Amino acid sequence: MPARTAALVTGVGLALPGVAAAADLLDARRSTDPVDPAARLGRRGLRYQDRATQLALTAARDALADAGILPADAQRADDDTLAVDGTRVAVVASSNLGNLDTVCETSAAITEASTDVVSPMALPNASSNVVASAVAQRFSLRGPNLMLCNGPTSGLDAVHWAAALIRAGRCRHALVVGVEPANDVVARLTGIPRGDLLDGAVALLVEDPAEAAARGARPLAELGDYTRDADLTACLSGTDGAQPGDWGVWFAEDSLAAAADVPLDGALRNVPRHALGAVHGQASGALGVLQCAAAVGWFSSGGTAPALVTAGEHEGDAVATLTLRPAEAARR
Amino acid sequence: MTWTEAPVGMVVTGMGAVAGVGDDVEEIFEALCAGRSGRAPLKEFDSTRFRARHAYEIDDRGSGKGMPLRATSWLLRAVEEALADAGLRDDLGSVPVLVGTGLRELRSVETAWQKGPGGEDFDLGRLHFGTALRERFGATRTYTLSNACSASLHTLAMAQDLIAAGEADTVVVAGVDTITASMFGLLDRVQMTVPDRVRPFDRERRGTLMGDGAAAIVLTRQDGSAGERAHGLLRGVAMNCDAGHPTAPDPQGISAAIRSAHERAGVKPDDIDLVVLHGTGTLLNDEAETTAVGEVFGPHASHPLMTALKGMTGHTSGGSGLLSLIVAARSLSTGRVPPTVGLDHRVPGAEPFRFVLPGQARPAASPLRLAQINAFGFGGVNAVAVLEGIA
Repeated sequence: MPARTAALVTGVGLALPGVAAAADLLDARRSTDPVDPAARLGRRGLRYQDRATQLALTAARDALADAGILPADAQRADDDTLAVDGTRVAVVASSNLGNLDTVCETSAAITEASTDVVSPMALPNASSNVVASAVAQRFSLRGPNLMLCNGPTSGLDAVHWAAALIRAGRCRHALVVGVEPANDVVARLTGIPRGDLLDGAVALLVEDPAEAAARGARPLAELGDYTRDADLTACLSGTDGAQPGDWGVWFAEDSLAAAADVPLDGALRNVPRHALGAVHGQASGALGVLQCAAAVGWFSSGGTAPALVTAGEHEGDAVATLTLRPAEAARR
Repeated sequence: MTWTEAPVGMVVTGMGAVAGVGDDVEEIFEALCAGRSGRAPLKEFDSTRFRARHAYEIDDRGSGKGMPLRATSWLLRAVEEALADAGLRDDLGSVPVLVGTGLRELRSVETAWQKGPGGEDFDLGRLHFGTALRERFGATRTYTLSNACSASLHTLAMAQDLIAAGEADTVVVAGVDTITASMFGLLDRVQMTVPDRVRPFDRERRGTLMGDGAAAIVLTRQDGSAGERAHGLLRGVAMNCDAGHPTAPDPQGISAAIRSAHERAGVKPDDIDLVVLHGTGTLLNDEAETTAVGEVFGPHASHPLMTALKGMTGHTSGGSGLLSLIVAARSLSTGRVPPTVGLDHRVPGAEPFRFVLPGQARPAASPLRLAQINAFGFGGVNAVAVLEGIA
């Protein structure tokens, strides 16, 4: 009977303005040139897809290629193109705001005129799971297909559920995609200026360790304990792995970090912290996936200690935490 | 714990539901068994903007259209009923709550958007249900899964995994949806003909019409005491994705999901006594589902009783799978099965199916022991559950 083993990250894909590699996520700089999915994926198949879906497909392609599951130059996949069995690959996507543009613009058009004026091609985009299912369709991934729309922790929750699906034997590989689009509908509804919103996607390929070893995949990070609780103190007291002093890097937005000053005798205050939303734009449902990709980047830049990833809010919903460890530990 | 260990028994110890045809599980089950429909003229929307003039709404608005947070209110009511039924306090703490939904609180967003720039009063933090579940039940392990029309059977599968992995002893699984103008309108636009009612598996069916509803169950690891008040034993839940067309279902993906559910449950097609079909009344779903069920059941296609509820509930989207499961549990307990309202002349391929029909006494049969519940959604997301009755 094998002991419970953690899942591995074996691929990262980014569709972010001005960011080419995961290690670049740690630089406090960003570009304002928007990602052009058609330039990276070709135009075919993108025409009726919303911005969030296009960004998600772009990041998903790169994560699959980075993990060696898809040929480096492939823009889509069928059963013959994939290096693994597509029925054993799950998709777990996360987005809170992805299809608000379609929903609001369609309902407004109907109210002003009638259903005659709306395009039938918008139908898939009215369903919030369009991102997860479009990724599955383009890359022939027939495993469980989940779309988390779970508020500020949604991205971290998606990474957790990917590992949970693997642990439950429902799949061997899981493609996690976090995405949010910047558009006028989201800007108006959130009250956040469009330029301060993330317009991008991040994808991770998560795998069963035995499967990754068998196919010679290169491990980038190991997923550790995940918790979701009322606040950060409650989350971390339930973590049986790293102690506060062990963390080498902490990913948290300013609002959560401010609320976390008190717990753990302030030990977290000495851990270098990155607030990625402040750099790359308010990331909502994409945040947790973005943070995990940055943790992978931190490891690839020489980081050897565990990374603590946190998202959420003390008031309102809840807080989620995840520990990632460098791949060396996975190969031990 | 891992999946290689002996299977963990899980039982449904509490159930709750709200729909157009009733305010709780008993009211809904009685209405459905009597063949009563929740179909009515459109209330939430200006019907002159649509070709379709009917829906299966919950009529609790009181003073008008565009009331915010209706899906949330039904969800909370269904969970309250399920907790009370299970004999649990409504302080959930770390008990996971997994909510499957197609359309979240998008109707609240639509009405906020219509008020124009500056008039939006909807807090986007309530688009998912975690905050409301924390306020009402103190729940902090909450997940809103937006998985189209099979969402609540997907959350059922996720709950099963949590318990099997030893990460929880009890999980609340729920499903909820309210009709959005965008989805109702886009369906109105794409359907070739205008349906005036939902007619599952009928040759003359003209499409689907949406319905409002919520459903919730308490799923608990089986031990001595949990079995005593149980409504059913969850044998297995499968989920997969067609990875085919954005909206059209694929019979191959569906049959793979059904086979996988049977395998997980350790049953064969001729063990199944009742199938609660997805049966949306769209041209494509009913055809694909008929093909898939016919293929998997083969020579045993005439063994199980079959029914589809959407002729009475409308298409309740993300909540529909769990509502079907609750009805299946009541059917296994009582031996009564609601009829397939709207079905007069069955689609080609469904000739061997033993549909329960309105006005017909249920065909004489041995006691019902095992039920299969189907749910399929846009994007080819399929989920199938197998439930065993408790004698």
